[in-house]
Amino acid sequence: MKIVVCLGTGGVGKTSVAASIALAKAREGAKCLVLTTDPALRLRTALGLKEGLLEQRVPVDEAEGELWAALLDVNATLDEAVRLYAKPRDQERILQHPIYRTIASSLSGMQELMAVERMDQLIRRGFDNLVIDTAPARHALDIFDKPVLFADFSDSGKVRLVSRTYKFAEALGLTSIGRSALEVYGRVESIMGTSMVKEILDFYSLFHPIAEGYSDRARETVALLRDHTVTEFRIVTIPDKALRDARFFVTELKKRDFATSMICVNRTWSHAMPQSVPQGFANELFDWYSSVSASHQRSIEKLRETFGTEIKEIRILSELERDVEGLDSLRRLADQLEPVTQPAARP
Amino acid sequence: MTASARLIVFCGKGGVGKTTLSLAAGLRHAIDGRKVLVVSSHPLAELALAVSLEGLSARFPSAAPNLFVVYIDPRDLITELVNKHFPVPMMAQRILNSSIFKNLIEIAPGLKEFFFLEKLQELAERRNSDSSTAVPDYDYLIWDAPASGHFLGTLRSAKAFEAYLTGPLATAGAHLHRFLSNRRNIQLFPVTPLEEMAIAETLETVEAVAKDFQISCSALLINCASPMCSATESDIAQVECMRDSSPAMHFAVDRGLIERERRAELAASLPVPQVLIPRITHWSSDLDLLAKIGGQMDLSQFS
Repeated sequence: MKIVVCLGTGGVGKTSVAASIALAKAREGAKCLVLTTDPALRLRTALGLKEGLLEQRVPVDEAEGELWAALLDVNATLDEAVRLYAKPRDQERILQHPIYRTIASSLSGMQELMAVERMDQLIRRGFDNLVIDTAPARHALDIFDKPVLFADFSDSGKVRLVSRTYKFAEALGLTSIGRSALEVYGRVESIMGTSMVKEILDFYSLFHPIAEGYSDRARETVALLRDHTVTEFRIVTIPDKALRDARFFVTELKKRDFATSMICVNRTWSHAMPQSVPQGFANELFDWYSSVSASHQRSIEKLRETFGTEIKEIRILSELERDVEGLDSLRRLADQLEPVTQPAARP
Repeated sequence: MTASARLIVFCGKGGVGKTTLSLAAGLRHAIDGRKVLVVSSHPLAELALAVSLEGLSARFPSAAPNLFVVYIDPRDLITELVNKHFPVPMMAQRILNSSIFKNLIEIAPGLKEFFFLEKLQELAERRNSDSSTAVPDYDYLIWDAPASGHFLGTLRSAKAFEAYLTGPLATAGAHLHRFLSNRRNIQLFPVTPLEEMAIAETLETVEAVAKDFQISCSALLINCASPMCSATESDIAQVECMRDSSPAMHFAVDRGLIERERRAELAASLPVPQVLIPRITHWSSDLDLLAKIGGQMDLSQFS
């Protein structure tokens, strides 16, 4: 199995590029799946998918191979993890817990944690190629850092000890004794409020078996991403941001020992220019296009100068007139990514 | 007369130019001699990777002392809170260093977002309370909000704390929710280019904010518009004839026509004033770009 991870800041067309990489791989005969961890469900629009399904086969032509798409639904992934890994008697208590509901309505961290859980679910499903579209931000790399932090947290014996002592003291009606015995903890309570701290500890004592299983799986998944024979990272950017994005992501990836294989400069204005242009508004419009296009070319030249030797491939993708929507525009993008040598017959 | 404590918010999909427009608006007001505080959602080191204000004091000497850009790190706020509760530094340090506390802060859902919002509210309200006694700290408070999903998640943390918890944070949550639900406190400027997915996300966000917080948007900022958006019908007819003369013209004309269509649809689905910000084609530095955009963007008419 091979994994491609697409990284980039917002608005660069990461999701479309990820989907077209997957399409290009499928055309080469691989059974391929693209996973978007983006909460905005843009992949669905790009692939023309039905609503409601978290995983479905994309209706490409038979000659184009087998392409699947999966969305990351944080709540569904979390619910599934609870059902799979919690003790049956704890399941309902977890699902009804106020902290669990707060997690569900909050974005802090869960997106990142569940992305890796979802990747793990999919890796076990026997695809030849997995293409992953990460959340749109410079902090996209959080999805590979946070699970490790979380694993450390759930391993922290102290938290378990506190929550057990707390429950024990509470059961005996000795809350204040329990608290004074754990002085720091008592003071934390005075800031955050007893209920908040109690709820969190209570929740994590329930959630602990899930977290433990999760940590093990997350460590395995991250190790797979670090294996250069399995995983390649592609940076997706646009001309105006290319140099800055590349500098940032190449450094961050290197720090984590991930392999950068390609920089895709998407949404480039590189269409062929007319020989001559009449006067009037047409001239104004042409000027506008060619100034933008020229600035794109300059940015790309700078990018090549800086990263041409370090990064194996810098790929320029022309911008389409409208948003990538539906399979036809994805095919146009895939053609630019991995040109088809023998075009597949399309009805 | 008390100055109205308005929080100006630029929101929208990732990559639509929220940061650029926030800074451009801030620069414009600062050039006019107003004190501006731009609250960025990017840590400053990260922001510096994306945009640079180099040369500000040389080119806009009047603006330099007036323009402030800050990033509010929720971790600092938490440290501040602990220090306030425990005036004995040793005790405060002990708590901050304890692994239980650190873990609780990291894991507690929505906690960081919540502290951030509280700080924002404090900044907005301080201006109000100070205005009777002293010169206000700043004339404009601009929040360069995070991308749509995270923006809504941040706003909703106030509501979640109020709804699911009891204790001091729940009380603060209720207070914060009241502040956010008062349209006199917030001026919302969604930013979008004329692209389908960015528009869809903008409409969803605007609808969610209106539903959860009863805040309506002041104006829609249309970023990176094609010159065809503001062209006359006869100009459009001229370029339409040229459409097939080359791939470049084909692209430019098609794009322009699509943008015109979308702009009209947007006017129907979101009946608020539209501010058209053309795509800038020539700029010598980031600062130059911000000044050019700021020059195209007069938002004072909406206050």
